[in-house]
Amino acid sequence: MLTRIADVLARIDRRIIYLLISISVIIPTLVIFPLPVQVSPETQKLYDRVEAIPDSSMILLTFDYYPSTLAETEPMSVAVLKQCWRKNLKVVTLSTVGLGGPSIADRVMSTLADKFGKVYGIDYVNLGYKANYQAVLLGLGKSIRSIYPTDYYDTPLDSLPMMKNVDTYDAFDFIFIVSDNGIVDNWVGLVNAQFGSEMGAGVTAVMAPKFYAYVRSNQLVGLLGGMKGAAEYEYLVGEKGAATAGMGAQSLVHLTIIIFILIGNFAYFAGRKKK
Amino acid sequence: MHSFFGKQLPVAVAFFSGVLMIITFFSGDQTVADFSQEQLVWVTIVGGFSLLLGVASITRVSLSDVRKRRKGWPYKAVLLIFLVASSLGAIIEGTERGTLYDWLFQNMNAPMMSTMFSLLAFYIASAAYRAFRARTVEATILLITATIVMLGRVPLGELIYGKLPEITDWIMNYPNLSVQRGIIIGAALGAASMSLRIILGIERTYLGRQ
Repeated sequence: MLTRIADVLARIDRRIIYLLISISVIIPTLVIFPLPVQVSPETQKLYDRVEAIPDSSMILLTFDYYPSTLAETEPMSVAVLKQCWRKNLKVVTLSTVGLGGPSIADRVMSTLADKFGKVYGIDYVNLGYKANYQAVLLGLGKSIRSIYPTDYYDTPLDSLPMMKNVDTYDAFDFIFIVSDNGIVDNWVGLVNAQFGSEMGAGVTAVMAPKFYAYVRSNQLVGLLGGMKGAAEYEYLVGEKGAATAGMGAQSLVHLTIIIFILIGNFAYFAGRKKK
Repeated sequence: MHSFFGKQLPVAVAFFSGVLMIITFFSGDQTVADFSQEQLVWVTIVGGFSLLLGVASITRVSLSDVRKRRKGWPYKAVLLIFLVASSLGAIIEGTERGTLYDWLFQNMNAPMMSTMFSLLAFYIASAAYRAFRARTVEATILLITATIVMLGRVPLGELIYGKLPEITDWIMNYPNLSVQRGIIIGAALGAASMSLRIILGIERTYLGRQ
């Protein structure tokens, strides 16, 4: 009997797995059920550091991500922006990702700017993208104007009131990196190590394990890991958003995958016993 | 002459650029700093041209495939149509909100890339079911750790067992971190030695020929 069950469980059609994963995503997306969000120490540290920045100071927020990871990364950018603008911080953005980064920054910032009543050039500036990120990160440490003579909209930096006295990383109280790729290594290795700029990062869940090392060495103040990290930040900022809404789907998908792993192992061991 | 432009000059440029960056890092001299800053601006400009080279290359390859009706040519045709549409749109109108480029990006590129990425969840579930077996002690440890972290990184895990997030944090901050540090240090040493090899002209594979 047991071996027959094991045989059946060992041959589950992949379409059934796909169907169950689909259901695990669709149902919690349609019927949102409240789930507790326990804030990790890494998220709390990052939030507290941004909160400690004096009002009206300047922060550099990067949009170093491709559209493929929007579900994880965009909620981070939105939550940080809400926190920054609630504190009246001035925000400069740039992207080291050519495909999408500046466009995503443009959409996210202009949408939120309308809500918070922020004016381009006075409260925020989008520098856009320049090729060869390592040269860009190093160059910005010596002169922002030499790397970005104009912003994303081809407006000379000197004609933007907010950028009048800004020409190196020294102008920023904090650098908040939101990324889905290895650029965080370069921000830490080139900018933190060489220019002493304080920074924190929000990254995708698969990348987060690597960057715990930088948090422990104080090269990163804190870290947001994946959609859960974004949901934790939304909780701290006090405005639930896309990441909080996605926690149900993510929870159920994780549980479904674990159940399938257990089924696969049960079938494997039961089948082996038979042999 | 060919050898000079194909081999000696690029190696000399790499040597000069690498040494300049090292001197800039250790020297506080303003003239050196200014010169190195100028070089960084050059690098970003060269980067722009390399993107152009990439566009030219993909256009040439795709055009050839479409002309010769090679396998998958309709996909290449779609690629070319949207390459031209987004490029022309960006050149004529710019890339701000409300432009053709932005419309194509926000409504086609972004959803398609997100869709491709989200398919991973299906493949991961199927692959985990088929291949993630506790065959050895190492595989069992990996399986248990993965299960704890997967549950501990979602709110449902906290509902199942309140201490799971703390256990996950411990896994991330100790066993995971020690391994990651080893990898980071190893990769950094590798990058440093590779850079040195390029600066000294020992490593020349980046030139594209032996």
